[in-house]
Amino acid sequence: MIHLSRITPIALLLAASLAASGLAQANPNAETVAAAIQAKPFAQTRVALQISDGSAEKQTLVLNVAHNLLKFYGPDKVDLEIVAFGPGLRLLFKGNANTQRIQELAAAGVRFSACDNTIAAMAKQLGHPPELNPIARIVPAGIVRMVELNKAGFFVARP
Amino acid sequence: MQLQKSNKKFQRYLALTTLCAGLFAAMPSAHAANWLMLQGTEPADNAARAKVWGFIQPTYQKDFSDAFAGKYVPPKLIGPSLDSQSSFNIIRARIGVRGTGFPLDNKVNYFILTEFGNNAITNGGKYGSYKPYLSDASVTLNYIPGARVRMGLFKYPGAEEGLQGIAAFPYINYTGVTNQMLLERFPTNGEVNIKPQPVPNADMNAFSAPAGAFRDVGVQVFDSFDVGNWEHTYAAMLGNGHGMQMTDNNSSKDLYLYWSSAYLFDKSAKGPFRPSLKMFTWYQSGKRTDAYNTTQEQERKRYGAGISYLKKPFRVTAEYMVGKGMIFQGQQNPQTMFNDNKAAGGYIEGGYFIPNTKWELDLRYDTYKRNKGIMTGATPEAKFNTWTAGVNYHFNKKTRVTLDYAIRKDSSVFTPVNNQLKDVKGLLALQVTAVF
Repeated sequence: MIHLSRITPIALLLAASLAASGLAQANPNAETVAAAIQAKPFAQTRVALQISDGSAEKQTLVLNVAHNLLKFYGPDKVDLEIVAFGPGLRLLFKGNANTQRIQELAAAGVRFSACDNTIAAMAKQLGHPPELNPIARIVPAGIVRMVELNKAGFFVARP
Repeated sequence: MQLQKSNKKFQRYLALTTLCAGLFAAMPSAHAANWLMLQGTEPADNAARAKVWGFIQPTYQKDFSDAFAGKYVPPKLIGPSLDSQSSFNIIRARIGVRGTGFPLDNKVNYFILTEFGNNAITNGGKYGSYKPYLSDASVTLNYIPGARVRMGLFKYPGAEEGLQGIAAFPYINYTGVTNQMLLERFPTNGEVNIKPQPVPNADMNAFSAPAGAFRDVGVQVFDSFDVGNWEHTYAAMLGNGHGMQMTDNNSSKDLYLYWSSAYLFDKSAKGPFRPSLKMFTWYQSGKRTDAYNTTQEQERKRYGAGISYLKKPFRVTAEYMVGKGMIFQGQQNPQTMFNDNKAAGGYIEGGYFIPNTKWELDLRYDTYKRNKGIMTGATPEAKFNTWTAGVNYHFNKKTRVTLDYAIRKDSSVFTPVNNQLKDVKGLLALQVTAVF
């Protein structure tokens, strides 16, 4: 058994934890759509996937769809970009439960775009910008990026 | 002296905790591999604001024990009312909500669960009446790398059988050692010892306060760390030591310590059925106040170790545990529970998931020695040995039906006690578990 005075070290640990929450590190801006297309000259199929829902099921689904597209067409033959905005930006938070899958898809050439408008809105609520997965690239507005990708010939889907 | 020793142990553990936090801060865990993590945390950045969940367990049990001189003791009757030898019942019906209240911040999550079933938590029997009960209400703060903090009412870190989620528990009844030595009862002044009774309407139940249900109100520091294919988990907790009752009844706090190391056969797998080989050890220590004489206090200690293996089609689990103080003497004996006796016991069980079918076969042996070494007096040594054979049919991942048959062989060195225990016999149990 132990007396309440022994709780003090735990309280100190807790206090230390509150001070230890990390600071956001800025992610680089995404390349333009034209530059992205040039970087994948052999792609015969171009797909933009929208994630604007924060649920675990939607996150899993959009990653599954990306995986299936890569598997069907082959990494060199398909150009894939996942655009996250609104609650969907949680997918690109640092430490997300799907981080390993995101890294694997990025290694296969999938781009991950994060909406700057959403980041700003979340920063207001959080008191600081959300920490993002270093793989994420910033776009001014998620929906505008989707429009631009569509104009450039990307098939747009929201799984 | 004893207090100083406990304090030193706690300080050493705290130092170890801090060391672990420092060593493993940069090594995130898979986060969904063990009971502490499954119950105390949520997946990062995709947990729901409020996920409704729960489970229902309609059950039928039939006891084949014989009476002695026309009268019965609780092991021969069906709980929690202990009136008769066969009964349908809704043993558990729980509904709860869990998630993260502010989804943008994955560093805070909560867990709340209520019990509407009819069991030792909700039904006080002779000295109480059925009433739903809050079984869990906790908040976890995940701000310190390597040292998550969970506060509130929740399952304390301890033996596997008590800590594991019921949805994953392959049997209907707990082992004798878990039921008697770990599942704590809390007598209330005015509840008296009850002699064996005839049926029907034996009305043996003697505890108006809810059973502990392996839960306590307190604060726990915990986390898990991946090192290659190994996942190490620790927990240190301080609690009231008053079960599910919201506040404490004495100034001493219970100390709980836990460590497990699991080898993960598949690191990408998640959830309660993740293939792994886990070794674990735990320790609990606290003080209890005598309900009938509040000037007296008694130490209560429990500790144990075990191993579990799960890689379909096989599952094997074994635990051994020891207890000292507050040794439960049976549901009809609330006034004899304040004691400094010793007890020990364990179990080994195995399961076989028949490939390409929905069937699971289970076999368990458990043994428990109560009041070890006491050969005379009102609370003599008694032994409880049980073989349980069971079968589960899994309709789907969330729904199963379980059929168990337990062969029990109980005895005591004291003839009047043995007269009742020797006729404790088979127990048939049928249960549907539906998780939602």
